[in-house]
Amino acid sequence: MKKLAVFLLLPLLAGCSSITVLDPKSTTGEEQAYLIWFSLGLMMIVLVVVFVLFARFVIKYRYTEERKNDIPEDVKGNLKLELTWTILPIILLIVLAVPTIAITYNQSPKMAAEADDGIDIGVAAQQFTWTFSQPNGKTDQNKLVLPEGEDVTLHLSSKDVIHSFWVPALAGKIDAIPGRTVTYEIKHLQKGTYRGKCAEYCGTQHTNMVFEVQVVSKKAYQKYLKEMK
Amino acid sequence: MDISLFGKTINLPSDVLAAWIFTGIIGIVLVVYIWKKKKLPVIWEYMRTTNHRKIGTLYILFGFIFFLRAGLDALFIRSQLALPNNDFWVFQSQKYSEVFTTHGTMMIFFAATPMLLGLMNIAVPLQIGARDLAYPFLNAVGFWLFFAGGMLFNLAFFLNKAPAIGWTGYAPLTGPTHTPGVNTDYYVFGVQISGLGTILTALNMMVTIIRHRAPGMKLTRMPLFTWASLITSFLILVAFTVLAIALYLLMFDRLFGTNFFTTNGGNPVYWQHLFWIFGHPEVYILALPAFGIFSDVISTFSKKRLFGYPAMVISIVMIGFLSFMVWAHHMFTVGLGPMANTFFAITTMTIAVPTGVKIFNWLFTIRGGVIHFSTAMLFALGFIPSFVMGGVTGVMLSVSAADFQFHDSYFVVAHFHYVILASTILGIFSALYYWYPKITGYALDEKLGKWHFWLFLIGFHLTFFPLHIAGLQGMPRRVFTYDPGEGLTAINFIATIGAFTMGISILCLFWNLFKTHRKAEKVGNDPWDGRTLEWYVASPAPEHTFDPMPIVEDIDPLWVAKRQNRPMRTTDHHRIAPLSKSSILPFVMAMCLFLLAFTMIYHLYWVSAIAGIGVLACMVIRSLTDERKSFYRSINWL
Amino acid sequence: MTNNEAALFRDKQIGFFIYLGVEAVMFLTLFATYIIFTPATQGPRPGEIFEAKSLILSSFFLLSSSGTLMLAEKGMKEKKTGKLLVWLGITLLFGLIFLGFEISDFHKYISEGYLTSTSNFLGSFYVLVGLHAAHVMFGSGWMILLLIQQRMNIPTSLFQEKLKIFSYYWHFVDVVWVFIIVIVYLPYMI
Ligand code: HEA
Ligand code: HEA
Ligand code: CUA
Ligand SMILES: [Cu+2]
Repeated sequence: MKKLAVFLLLPLLAGCSSITVLDPKSTTGEEQAYLIWFSLGLMMIVLVVVFVLFARFVIKYRYTEERKNDIPEDVKGNLKLELTWTILPIILLIVLAVPTIAITYNQSPKMAAEADDGIDIGVAAQQFTWTFSQPNGKTDQNKLVLPEGEDVTLHLSSKDVIHSFWVPALAGKIDAIPGRTVTYEIKHLQKGTYRGKCAEYCGTQHTNMVFEVQVVSKKAYQKYLKEMK
Repeated sequence: MDISLFGKTINLPSDVLAAWIFTGIIGIVLVVYIWKKKKLPVIWEYMRTTNHRKIGTLYILFGFIFFLRAGLDALFIRSQLALPNNDFWVFQSQKYSEVFTTHGTMMIFFAATPMLLGLMNIAVPLQIGARDLAYPFLNAVGFWLFFAGGMLFNLAFFLNKAPAIGWTGYAPLTGPTHTPGVNTDYYVFGVQISGLGTILTALNMMVTIIRHRAPGMKLTRMPLFTWASLITSFLILVAFTVLAIALYLLMFDRLFGTNFFTTNGGNPVYWQHLFWIFGHPEVYILALPAFGIFSDVISTFSKKRLFGYPAMVISIVMIGFLSFMVWAHHMFTVGLGPMANTFFAITTMTIAVPTGVKIFNWLFTIRGGVIHFSTAMLFALGFIPSFVMGGVTGVMLSVSAADFQFHDSYFVVAHFHYVILASTILGIFSALYYWYPKITGYALDEKLGKWHFWLFLIGFHLTFFPLHIAGLQGMPRRVFTYDPGEGLTAINFIATIGAFTMGISILCLFWNLFKTHRKAEKVGNDPWDGRTLEWYVASPAPEHTFDPMPIVEDIDPLWVAKRQNRPMRTTDHHRIAPLSKSSILPFVMAMCLFLLAFTMIYHLYWVSAIAGIGVLACMVIRSLTDERKSFYRSINWL
Repeated sequence: MTNNEAALFRDKQIGFFIYLGVEAVMFLTLFATYIIFTPATQGPRPGEIFEAKSLILSSFFLLSSSGTLMLAEKGMKEKKTGKLLVWLGITLLFGLIFLGFEISDFHKYISEGYLTSTSNFLGSFYVLVGLHAAHVMFGSGWMILLLIQQRMNIPTSLFQEKLKIFSYYWHFVDVVWVFIIVIVYLPYMI
């Protein structure tokens, strides 16, 4: 029953490139989406193996009238089999760990601002608004305008409690923590308007702590910078 | 709604009012029932009992009541989220935050953990041939502390002061600056008190298993549930202690002006470390006992010995050990740096290995068996594929860079409901059907049991499978609504239908309990053709068990004896049973602590001091009325 | 002791050891907290407020109380009630003297304006050392109860058992104090 549901829903999942996180608009997001797909693929192997064994055993060894009085033979174990299902998962996990380590090293948010190229954006979170400051000092609330094709480095901080900066369509989230600054780099943005959200519960209006990210052409970006507030 | 009382106006929102009315009605019905049926002596007996089966029953009873409360909260959550921009009853902003906080906290601390402790209380002594837990008095103390903590936490809601901080209580939101009201204090004290009870019970369980096994019950012959209980107890002792200190520090922050977790010189992330050093082992505290239950149930209803017993035990130990090394996988987005992130990603992945060993060993226990589809077994079978689905999403979460996307989204919500419902909740249901005869002497109805199982399983997958996609679609957790344009509507609507399906399945369980007790048909000692010692004693388990004391010569001693067509061998040479004497002191002590916490919340420190003295006085009385006194005297006279 | 008594005592003993394990985890977490927050970025430095004299004196009394407690136990083993009572009484006295030092220290700090809210070093100092002092206080009450029970003529084996359990507690509290000296005080006093 439920297995059926899984197999019905999976193609749905795979077919839907419209799922926000799996259709990212930056290189950073693409790397993350790649990891998601890759791990999902490996996990499907595990799932299929378990489901097939499960279905086979449950059907084959179910109670029937003719097996009413059978007393099955006791099997204590089987070293070879048990080693198999210890070692194979380890191998699988190593396969998963390699890209994980590579990409994590690349992407992990860093505590201090390290020298980065690209555009530096200040992100200040406060219950329940976001204030973004551009390199030239221009600030805007709940609206972040960025140039297409560039890399941006976010410098996140918070004025009160912990918040989390998340633009699902661009890349993963990173916490804004009071008392420290965390940096996070999102590479190679694509044009578009995206919904951004606060992803760490920060009080009763957490739901409404949303913002908009507009990735625009470089020209439009320059224009935006020069616009007076 | 505003109510005027003694010239003061009290603001009661309609949900709180409804709760008062509902509880009032239930209360009146209960009082009338108790009076009519003359049940007062029974209640008095249970208030004073120190017997493991009765305390276990109390644990399960109250755990189940809290489960209903928390489940009702889940239904409110799902109703609010069913449609975009919905306004269901009062459950928006503040109230929504309260309801998910209560739901999470109650489910973890006051429903799942206590129900598992209750099952341990009932089954562990019977499985190892102990006549009671090592310290019967302490057992009662442990239970009543849980009770007091649970009541305190619930009281918050009835006073319209429910905490709104998430079950994780992240600082600095929980600090005095950002949540100045008493709401958060209810969380701090409610969880603290019941946590103390949990620690005491775990300690008790551990000593019982170490010291009170029947002759011949070597560690290597213990049923898997007992093994799981032993390791779980160990995890509780460490994890809950760290939580106790974390809450202790938070209490100082809130009441006495320290700044551990505030931004005023403190470190909010330190709270997260402490919380998850507790929190991650906690999720295995929920899972391991369930693994134990499934091991016993699957082996019983496949009519086959557990496949790979040593590997099963070793993997429990491994999971327990590893569970202390992975906590920061809940903190990938905090910015701990690439080193920490990869380290914790790898340690997290390794847990999949021992868990996988268990999964395959269960599968190969079934293989070659004769599978009887009793309700208990159905729950166990439902567990395997469901849990693996939740487990593999866990492995996906451990991929740290990918977790930047998953974290605090509905993908995580889907993951943990999958693992928790599949292991803990299905496990508790399975155990309930399996051990019900040992608890009450009756067996639950199988037909209604099947309705319960199928509706629950279908509802469970219907609710939580779509929520994975909601997370990937960009839905954060702990939000009370979403926009129509986000592509989340259908997903959430399906999830809500699923939640109500689970609700209906719980009603089937109710009906089943009612019907079973109506019919009141006794079953014998061994209704399932069982394998382990608990099926050797009468149903329900009497207060004085194992007389004469059986000798254990094998892993499934009862099964072996039955196959060889002989009674179990018994002996007179065995250790002395724990001494017990029923007493109201544990209850009084817990009530004093309740009062202490309650007055601390409202800064009435002088009353707290009196209540504290009350607790100490109970200890003194306890020491002076030690049941060992008369016992030691009697043997010294001989 | 008979077999049964021995078995029951062993239950209690093992349980109590596990309990002490729980206490150890508790103190470990508090030590970690102290190390993380000390010295604090603002506020007084630890060295400025700690005083060698009261530390040495209070430690002398608390640590030697472990020795006097052992003498009391010896008295019990030799069935010399007088010896037992005297040494237990002295242990109690030492415990109370230690508490007196603690209280006067705390009192002094507070009157000098060093509060829990002054800095996180002080906050973690108070919760850690304060919890230890609470343990000493609890232990002192326990000793009083033991003295009363000794006079109340309970079965000897039961009293022995109770004294044994108490001694584990008291020695444990002493060991924690040693760690407090080494971790909390010494690094900032030399
Ligand atoms: C019963 C409870 C339970 C259990 C058993 C688990 C099991 C696991 N959990 Fe889960 N988890 C929770 C309850 C649980 N979790 C809760 C409550 C939260 C959220 C808390 C909150 O934030 O509110 C959470 C959150 C959580 C996170 C943090 C997500 C985030 O907030 O960003 C992570 C990240 O790594 C994680 C990972 C895992 C892993 C790897 C396992 C593994 O143990 C799973 C292992 C099992 C399998 C993998 C399946 C069987 C194995 C095989 C068939 C072998 C072959 C398999 C492979 C080789 C892959 N969990
Ligand atoms: C043991 C743990 C456990 C269990 C069993 C459940 C069970 C359920 N959970 Fe829960 N859940 C958590 C632990 C658990 N949950 C935690 C820890 C959180 C995180 C909280 C946080 O973010 O801080 C969470 C969060 C959480 C959310 C996310 C909220 C948010 O982030 O905004 C949702 C949403 O769908 C949800 C739904 C459900 C549902 C539908 C069930 C269902 O399975 C419930 C089924 C039960 C019933 C439906 C009860 C039936 C009751 C009746 C029929 C009523 C009769 C009543 C009376 C007579 C009084 N849960
Ligand atoms: Cu800001 Cu949630
Ligand atoms: Cu975890």
